[in-house]
Amino acid sequence: MRAPKGRGARLAAAVAAVSALALTASACGTDGKGSSGSEGSGKGTVTFWDNNGGVRTEVWKEIISRFEKKNPDIKVKYVGVAAADVQSKYDTAIAGGKGLPDVGGVGTAMLASLVAQDALDPVTDRIEDSSLKGGFDPDLVESVQVAGGGDELFSVPTSANMGVLWYRTDLFEAAGVPAPTTWDAFFTATEKLTDRKNNEFGFTFRGGAGSIAQALDMMYGQSGIDSFWNGDSTTVNDPKNVAALEKYVALYKKTTPEADLNNDFTKMVAEFDNGRIGILQHNLGSFQNHLDALGQDKFAGVAMPVDAAGVRTTVSNPVDGLGLFKSSGNKEAAWKFIEFAASAEANSLWNESAGAIPSNTQAQDDDWIASAGATKIAIDALTDSRTRIVQLPYYLPDWNTLSKADSEPEFQKVVLGRLSAKDFLDAFAGKLNAAQADWKKHNS
Amino acid sequence: MTTTVPETNGVPLPHVAPATRPDRGGTGPRRGRRALTAGAPRWQIYLPLGLYLLFTLVPFYWMLLFALRPSGSTSLVPWPATTAHFSKVWNDLGFAVFFKNSLLIGVATLVMTTVVALLGGYALARFDFRAKRAFLLALLCSQFIPGALMLVPLFQIFSELRMIDSLWSVIVAETVFQLPLSIILISGFIKNVPVSLEEAAWVDGCGRIRAFCAVVLPLLRPGLIAVGSFAFVHSWNHFLFSLMFLSTQEKYTIPVGLSYTIGSGESVELGTLAAGGVVAAVPVVIVFAFIQKWLVTGFSAGAVKG
Repeated sequence: MRAPKGRGARLAAAVAAVSALALTASACGTDGKGSSGSEGSGKGTVTFWDNNGGVRTEVWKEIISRFEKKNPDIKVKYVGVAAADVQSKYDTAIAGGKGLPDVGGVGTAMLASLVAQDALDPVTDRIEDSSLKGGFDPDLVESVQVAGGGDELFSVPTSANMGVLWYRTDLFEAAGVPAPTTWDAFFTATEKLTDRKNNEFGFTFRGGAGSIAQALDMMYGQSGIDSFWNGDSTTVNDPKNVAALEKYVALYKKTTPEADLNNDFTKMVAEFDNGRIGILQHNLGSFQNHLDALGQDKFAGVAMPVDAAGVRTTVSNPVDGLGLFKSSGNKEAAWKFIEFAASAEANSLWNESAGAIPSNTQAQDDDWIASAGATKIAIDALTDSRTRIVQLPYYLPDWNTLSKADSEPEFQKVVLGRLSAKDFLDAFAGKLNAAQADWKKHNS
Repeated sequence: MTTTVPETNGVPLPHVAPATRPDRGGTGPRRGRRALTAGAPRWQIYLPLGLYLLFTLVPFYWMLLFALRPSGSTSLVPWPATTAHFSKVWNDLGFAVFFKNSLLIGVATLVMTTVVALLGGYALARFDFRAKRAFLLALLCSQFIPGALMLVPLFQIFSELRMIDSLWSVIVAETVFQLPLSIILISGFIKNVPVSLEEAAWVDGCGRIRAFCAVVLPLLRPGLIAVGSFAFVHSWNHFLFSLMFLSTQEKYTIPVGLSYTIGSGESVELGTLAAGGVVAAVPVVIVFAFIQKWLVTGFSAGAVKG
């Protein structure tokens, strides 16, 4: 049998093909990068993408409800996006030319990429002209500035996290070892709390996704080196950091479960909450998990240990914030929402729910901070004059790739003893130096 | 007009499907199976199967355990059971809405994929046309292109068509990605149906469409079920298109909802995550439970010819 080949069919096919090509061509011709948007009327709908949808949905809905009561002319459309996927969603919308929100949750870890794509409006002047002027923690402001690659703020800081050592107070008490407030106490405790035969371990190790950030915290914390850069070269492969990494990696299998090689934060937290693990190195965010699983009396949190001189060195954690998107057609209303969400009232509510450090200095004095033990300890550590913060180069557009996809598999080789800590850090440093040089070339 | 379609357990099968040819009688495969297993100790059959089942079922048990036991419990059995996690995902996280959206997308994708694959498959099986081999090759090659690679162009096209944030964008994208394999499968199935059957119907006075509907279509049931079910299950599970093309909470689907429960790099609620997993898995399990007898026949008969 043969298909009939009428002129009509051929014509229809040709029209369809030309239409498809034209559609594709016109679609590919648009690019919303840097689209300037407009101030709008200050009323109407503001679309807000939450960069941690699900986990923080409830508290955001409460804040939005309060905002809408105060601003009846503005309606906020909440869209929650899971933290792991938000960067891809922003990138696709930017590349697609349309569909970006008016306001979006933007952590410093993704800020450089969005700034490089010219997707965000600077907000420094808006803050200066608003009730938020001078109301933010200066350390967090600096982190956001550094991540944006200059003096300009491209997001309004809302909260910060901090590396914490969570430890099982019941196990520490039974073993008669002190809390891991110094590095010596930390390493001693990991050994004393390990009883492999009874499946008890002093520490749980992050060998999978997210391993580099924690390894850096461990390295700089022990070495005491307080800057990520020494001129144009990174300090990441400084001999002191190499020695610190060797000591940290040596914990694997000696005082940790063997399965830790593939631990991401989920598995690590689950191990700590459901097994007999002495210490977990994580951040403030997992507090509620420990509380639910262990109850209030069986765990506590301390800031990262201090060295023999009592100095604490810790790497900067991503600072969460709210960005105003350049393509917004309703910036006036969008800014009103940002201003409200970063105010002491809303900022306090949000951070109490998240167990994080408020960026608003007024909110840092609220009553709930005193009763939220670990948050209080983290704020005290953050504001302690003997604490040094190593600012990680979140401003490098390649930072996420370099510190995750490129380095995590190599780090596992170090953990398994197939690659030396020095070779790993030298290679990592080489890539960082190249990325820094490239960034300087384009931003000088 | 009469048909000579054989049926086994109510399932019509193509004439040429070797495992159920009527001239060999309905017990052929069973005899073969007996011959294969005759003399083998039972443990040699059941031990590997048991081990395989163990590996398959343990993750499901883990999911049910965490979904049903209260937060903080370390019990290895889900007792006392709680529905708190299900209540949270269904009511608080909005899985009731996500479920409805996933169902809509799944059913629409199933219908569109099946109908278009049927038409395309028929054309490939029954007509000779210029560049047919090249077209088949293009269909095969399209299988090697990951969806993520097409994300930005698709986003731009849907933007131009004002389809972003519409369930139709996901339905169209899912259908397009399902079609190549579905067309190849259906085409193989139609080739297995002798043309003479259709010709007999034409002699009896049927047109092409009526002959197709009355004679060919009933014989394609296993293939249609295989293609349709895979289209449904794939669109049910697919995460990327829903995440990227939908930007309204009320339009999200189950996989996007599940990503909510995984956590943020800060905290994770395993009970909620597991309950979400159960809600996501149940429809797929039900679909496969109902269609598995057609599914095996569908793939074994349709997939070998292309």
